[in-house]
Amino acid sequence: MAATSAQLERKGAKDGVCTEFTVFAKIKAGHAEALREVLAELTAGAADMSARAALREIGTLHDARHVMFDNDTRFMFASVFDGTWDTYIDDFGKTVVGERFDMVFRHCEGFPGIADPGIKDWFLERQAPAGVFVSSYPDLTVQQIWKDQRVNEAFQEVLDTPEFREALDNPANAALKATPAFQKLMKEAQA
Amino acid sequence: MTAATGLSGAGVGIEIDDIQSGALRPRPVPYEGEFNFLRVDDRHAGRALLRRLIPTIGGGLAGPDPSRDAWVAVAFTYQGLRALGVPQESLDSFSRPFREGMAARADQIGDVGESAPANWEPPFGTGEVHIAVSALSTDAARLAKALERARVAFHETPGVELIWQQEVRQLPTGRTTFGFRDGISHPNIEGLGLPGSNPREAPIKAGEFILGYPCETGGLPPMPSPDVLGRNGTYVAVRKIHTKAAAWRRYLRANTSGAEDEALLAAKMVGRWPSGAPLTLTPEHDDPELAADPHRNNDFLYRENDEQGLRCPAGAHIRRVNPRDAAIIGDARMHRLIRRGTTYGPPLPEGVLEDDGADRGLVGVFIGAHLERQFEFIKAEWVNDGNFIGYPGEQDPVAGHHNGTGSVTIPEKPVRRRLRNLPSFVATRGGEYCFLPGLRALRWIAELQD
Repeated sequence: MAATSAQLERKGAKDGVCTEFTVFAKIKAGHAEALREVLAELTAGAADMSARAALREIGTLHDARHVMFDNDTRFMFASVFDGTWDTYIDDFGKTVVGERFDMVFRHCEGFPGIADPGIKDWFLERQAPAGVFVSSYPDLTVQQIWKDQRVNEAFQEVLDTPEFREALDNPANAALKATPAFQKLMKEAQA
Repeated sequence: MTAATGLSGAGVGIEIDDIQSGALRPRPVPYEGEFNFLRVDDRHAGRALLRRLIPTIGGGLAGPDPSRDAWVAVAFTYQGLRALGVPQESLDSFSRPFREGMAARADQIGDVGESAPANWEPPFGTGEVHIAVSALSTDAARLAKALERARVAFHETPGVELIWQQEVRQLPTGRTTFGFRDGISHPNIEGLGLPGSNPREAPIKAGEFILGYPCETGGLPPMPSPDVLGRNGTYVAVRKIHTKAAAWRRYLRANTSGAEDEALLAAKMVGRWPSGAPLTLTPEHDDPELAADPHRNNDFLYRENDEQGLRCPAGAHIRRVNPRDAAIIGDARMHRLIRRGTTYGPPLPEGVLEDDGADRGLVGVFIGAHLERQFEFIKAEWVNDGNFIGYPGEQDPVAGHHNGTGSVTIPEKPVRRRLRNLPSFVATRGGEYCFLPGLRALRWIAELQD
């Protein structure tokens, strides 16, 4: 066990702050239908809500997809994480994220369970690195994107208030308006 | 069985007397200590030394009078266990970071630039550090007595070489070289009978700190084999950190408007005032009385009263390395650590802003059953980055390696304060990953045949 993990390296392709993580597993014989049901269940109603909550909880996952292929004999999990996928793997084991992993991967051959000490090795053995991985926002973590979204929404709301217009016309704010930083902000406000 | 079930225990029998005192006992106040590194050139000599050391190694928690305490602890690097002839199969069963050694993990834990292993003080990172013998006591006389036999053994055992020595002691101020009281926080470990310093912390499973017991995952931590070697042992990261006390003072001076502001900025970076009083409990000014009360000086969480970090910034040193119940990425309970800092070198005299060239800093000891998930995780995610608290790329203001480009965000109304161009206030002088075995395991190593 120890010897194996020594030979395995984290090998996802990296672009900026993100790493892609793609895993290919074999679906257990006779489990395809059950797996399909789990996947459908995870995207429906309450489970979907809990998925959103789970993504909030992870806070480092940009996106993820579960794909059954090869005549329902194989399964792909493809995802993009800030940093590396395994940083928080032990933390996931204690959360709703871990439950979701367990629900899905238990239909794959050899899956030891998300809380098993050998879980990293199981994933590493099934990971295939992307030949090409590019991101349109290589400098932004999920946390940064959320923050940017919150700030922009709040900024747009400020622009919609008549008080802001009045403040711009107020000579008392001339010094602020003249700063390059504020002019940059106003350029974003023009369109 | 000699198991002593602790007061706060939930029926978990922990063999407390088989665990080296150096693993669990909080640092005394005041303290005197010493670290010795030995190289084993002959495994038989190494085992002979160990047999002489064993009677001096303390086990269990403090006696009835902890103020008269002294203890010696012995730990081994991977190279050390190899030099002592521990079988390869057993060596392979240790955790990967331990087998590779701290120097090999420099990129992961951020020991780069001036802190890179290439710049370390020998014998750190050379593979020659085999055995680490440390001792800690309340005063120099007790320390000398505790170390008496060990010192004789070092010098009288040919085939074993004493290659490095470092004295540590509390400064007359009772504070670190940066001017802050430390050694306040200690985790609440289940079943130990040693209360944690924060009454609001739910007990952490013993397996987070000692091998052979269930950990926070619900399972048993991966343990080296054979059982006798792994059980009641733990991993220790030992680091010598040089502190740039003058640079620290200069930065504070240059970025503040007066003495009061300077004290506040320093506290915002640390998370406590110089006395040790936590910002979350006393955000406006220091409170030495609060700091002196062991029942109150660590009795706080963040979520209820300080979620935004308006009192103690999310990026402050103490909040990063122990986020308690604050909203962060992941689960803080999976990343607890016993940390014991001890100071070396002279203090920088009060008021001095220019570097006097003296070497000063701390020898830090970080103890846990999972090097990767605890020490290395905390370094990489919590100290060397800020993504987990929503400040990607921002490092620990005190312990980060900023290199002149660091920034610190301090929440404030109406607008947060952001400091830029932080220099590094620390540099790693060296470090080693060690294994601190239980007492039975020590005897097992000492009695190895061939």
